[in-house]
Amino acid sequence: MDRARPAVLPQELAEETPFQQLIRHWMNERHAPDILPGQEMLLGRLLDHIRKQCNDVELLRADPDSSEEEHFRIMLVQTEVERVKFVIRSYVRTRLHKIEKYARHISATPETHEKLSKAELDHARRYARLMEYHFNQSVLQSLPEQQRSLEENVAFMPPMTREPDKIRPVFAHALQDCPPMRLPDGTMSEMQKGQISLVPYYVVEHLLLRGEVELV
Amino acid sequence: MNNASQYGDLATQLLTESRRSTATNTLLKYNDVLVRAIVREQRDLEARIEAALARSAAAADPDSDAGAPAPAENAYMPTILLYQTAILRNKRCLLAYHHHRIEFLKDLYWSVGGALPLLLALPPAGANANANAQAAAAGGAAGTGAAPQDVRSKLSPHEVDFLRSYNESLRTLRTEAFSSAAGGGAGHGLTEDIDLLAPISHPPKDLQVHVRVVRDCGVVYTELGAIDFKRGHRFLVRRSDIEHLIVQGYLEES
Repeated sequence: MDRARPAVLPQELAEETPFQQLIRHWMNERHAPDILPGQEMLLGRLLDHIRKQCNDVELLRADPDSSEEEHFRIMLVQTEVERVKFVIRSYVRTRLHKIEKYARHISATPETHEKLSKAELDHARRYARLMEYHFNQSVLQSLPEQQRSLEENVAFMPPMTREPDKIRPVFAHALQDCPPMRLPDGTMSEMQKGQISLVPYYVVEHLLLRGEVELV
Repeated sequence: MNNASQYGDLATQLLTESRRSTATNTLLKYNDVLVRAIVREQRDLEARIEAALARSAAAADPDSDAGAPAPAENAYMPTILLYQTAILRNKRCLLAYHHHRIEFLKDLYWSVGGALPLLLALPPAGANANANAQAAAAGGAAGTGAAPQDVRSKLSPHEVDFLRSYNESLRTLRTEAFSSAAGGGAGHGLTEDIDLLAPISHPPKDLQVHVRVVRDCGVVYTELGAIDFKRGHRFLVRRSDIEHLIVQGYLEES
């Protein structure tokens, strides 16, 4: 239905600096109940940039000819580097928190693997095994044989493997005019550019993944 | 406290402990006694369910096909259902209790920046109360030789194992994803690009921070050179150099 639409980036988005992109992904990750695709390329670029800046700063500081003005500039650069590192740190730890929360689900669902980097996936698998081992050691081993499963799903009770809660409401801010989306009561709704709506996550999930909407 | 008047009472007590732990933001001692009592109850229930199944199979019409009668006609079905419900509930409660403690421990771990020895020596207050408890712990641990107040005594051995393995797993993650070889001639050794264990509660406003030394930390290499942190002295240092010391309680921001 949307395939005929050309993928044209609006002017503002095309001019976003990598740091602004990171901030957008960071906000999305903090608000979304599910894990979003990881932005390794973006992180890699930013980390390289930081490393280069730190090297430049080192060179400038070692140079005895730098003036007072240079000194201020160096301080500004260093402060900005710290702030960028803060955002990266928060982004990675938010993802890590969600990964650990749904570790068992991730290990069991191959479709989620492409959202994670290899190191994150390894950690998810190790963590799921760690939790299983811990439960076995402290509880399940002492129980009779028939009660030892970690996959017992009973009717009317939530499943034992936790899954992302896609019904949670989120505030979605449209970055451009969006195609119609289906609301829970069946009606279709369209968002104009700049509009903010409060909807269940699954309603805007596809828009979020395409970058037409951001979470606030 | 442990006499149960019905199946599931002990499990409810376990859940009450979890709730109390969250409400007071402290980690209570691992209630081994209660856990064992519930496991015993589970075994008892399992034995009863087996007996009921056996009786229902025996009471089946001999002319019918082998096995128990259909669930709709089985006279023992309510009994079996009751036992099964109790078994499932107890199991979920047990798992929930352990899971809750693990989550609490993880929060505590991140709040001290991943310093395991420090974590195990802390008083069992929650992650938010740590900063205040640090100074108290320093004084208290040295002074009284009385009952150990540290976190380690509240944990079961499995939980200590979990913390160690979790620490290892995180270290592997950090090395794989966020370290790069130190540049220049000295190619050996990995330095971390991003220190994942630094605090993320608020973004850094200033490059430098005034600190007061609460406990001696010895000589620390900062960008200003080697600084010997002695108790009571104040310094103006770059935040990123000593942040880990603030988190662990050796320095105090002022």
